[in-house]
Amino acid sequence: MEALTSLVARNFKVFTRDKTGVFFSFLSVVIVIVLYAVFLQKMQVDAIKQTAEATDEVVTMVNEWLVAGLLSIIAVTSTLGVFGIAVKDIETKATADFLTAPVSRATLQLSHVFNAMLIGLSFSVIGLIGCEIFLVVTGGQWLSLTGFLNVLGILVLSVLLASVFNTFLVLLVSTQNSFSTLSTIVGTLIGFLCGVYVPLGALPSFAQHIIMYFPISHTTMLLRNEFMEDSLQNVFAGAPVEVVQEYKLVYGVTYKLHGHELSLPTSYLIVGLAIVVLAILSIMIFKRKHR
Amino acid sequence: MTVAISVENLRKLYDRHEAVRGITFQVEQGTLFAFLGANGAGKSTTIEILCTLLKKSSGNVTINGYTLDASNDNAEIRKSIGVVFQQSFLDERLTVYENIMHRGKMYGLTKATLSENYQFVNKYLHLEDIEKKKYGTLSGGQKRRADIARALIHRPSILFLDEPTTGLDPQTRQFVWQTIKQLQEDSNMTVFLTTHYMEEAAMAHKVVVLKQGEIVAEGTPDELKTKYAYDQMALVFQDRMQGMEWLTGLKLSYSEKQGIFTVRLDSTLQALGLLKQCEHLLASFEVIKGTMDDVFIHIMEDGGIEDGGVNQSSSAQLQGVYSR
Repeated sequence: MEALTSLVARNFKVFTRDKTGVFFSFLSVVIVIVLYAVFLQKMQVDAIKQTAEATDEVVTMVNEWLVAGLLSIIAVTSTLGVFGIAVKDIETKATADFLTAPVSRATLQLSHVFNAMLIGLSFSVIGLIGCEIFLVVTGGQWLSLTGFLNVLGILVLSVLLASVFNTFLVLLVSTQNSFSTLSTIVGTLIGFLCGVYVPLGALPSFAQHIIMYFPISHTTMLLRNEFMEDSLQNVFAGAPVEVVQEYKLVYGVTYKLHGHELSLPTSYLIVGLAIVVLAILSIMIFKRKHR
Repeated sequence: MTVAISVENLRKLYDRHEAVRGITFQVEQGTLFAFLGANGAGKSTTIEILCTLLKKSSGNVTINGYTLDASNDNAEIRKSIGVVFQQSFLDERLTVYENIMHRGKMYGLTKATLSENYQFVNKYLHLEDIEKKKYGTLSGGQKRRADIARALIHRPSILFLDEPTTGLDPQTRQFVWQTIKQLQEDSNMTVFLTTHYMEEAAMAHKVVVLKQGEIVAEGTPDELKTKYAYDQMALVFQDRMQGMEWLTGLKLSYSEKQGIFTVRLDSTLQALGLLKQCEHLLASFEVIKGTMDDVFIHIMEDGGIEDGGVNQSSSAQLQGVYSR
């Protein structure tokens, strides 16, 4: 146990002291912010103008939409960046030094997974605080206490999911080169797969299906529901139900799969199941690798 | 004397290539043991097996009474060994102190024991000037000091060093040797080192020479020297042909390279008699004492002195002596 906590602490330091490494694991987050500042925000506000009155509340709602996507991407990219240490340890044979001490390979692997969760959670909470400040400064409201706790809960879930998801992916690569390729691919795709770069409704239907089957996008969707709940009511007050529904579907606040609207509990279930399945798969691959 | 490491008929087979071919040896508790061999002789493979990092193909190994690869015994073995690798494996962005402490905690020691051990290690490696520095900013010699400190932090009874001085400057090499020797003497630690430096092997209590995965010689440095090293005399004659005739007449075996004749001597004093006989023919001469280098070269190049001739490599060395 002491070995595990010490290893996690070591991994934590090794990751956070590499400032450029930390920055690059947030590259896709930076891209989202830039995209949003340049055109995503304006595009959405313009679209809503056609059905509802463009007020400050619309801007706030759109900002909240962005924040939800941003936070779910942070969970994925930060936890993935952490596994760079695991891959580097193996390739530079630093692992050998750890293995001359009475610790098992499983403990080493677990230390990287726990570190990923720790880093993911830290950066998610920092991200949440930053996002809240941004929302309030731009004219929005603070989250209520229950809303804040709900968001925290979803963030914990999304960090768990991202950690096992990345554990699974990283078990498939063995060199630093292939790891950086993997990071590039994940960093590029995650914005699309969570419907953040482009709204869900703007994509062809097969792409929409891919997104809705992709478990991590459900954490984005759950976050959107938490953040946008009040604004949705304010903005679309008095508007026909169909208009609200249409907006929710186009911007990925509600998923409609094969003609059925997915309830929020269903999404929680999907996230939970994905965590369990990916964890089992990871353990199986790990055991195969180190027979 | 108790046995710290016992290896019996150890083999390691990679896909098609057999890196270690049935070696047997013992290391006594509290001694300095050197594993000598050229690159690719199987030294590192053997050390990795002994350190529980690599699975053996067959054979029996016991370390401090624990059987390698037996259930739970590997964990016990790991607690009692420290390893210094050829390369450095500490974290560049952590300080020396952080590095050592983080790795020390993997042995399940209490904070008190750990800091006590750190004081002990510090006595030998003088970490004061580097303990607060990031490992990545250190020089090669400083890094080595940190590496050795890390390997000793849990006070192992056996220290493995895989070519610990390769790539270091002579001063640091000297420091590393002295430290290892002192540690071994002070705390009765068993030291197992692999090397291809003769001088390093010469300070060991026992040397085992490995060639292509097999043991080709073993003994104390003195024993090996007596058996495999011999004195030689190099002669340059005023007239090459006359000199050659004289040597042939004496029925001495010799080799020649660019006018330098090399004769093997049974003893150093034999040179005196020979020199007197050929004084009038000589342009220059040199008597070369046998060294540990010869042991290595003779064992490696021609598997010993049985064939009698002076080998190529020694002549090449002599040439070096002359051209200086």
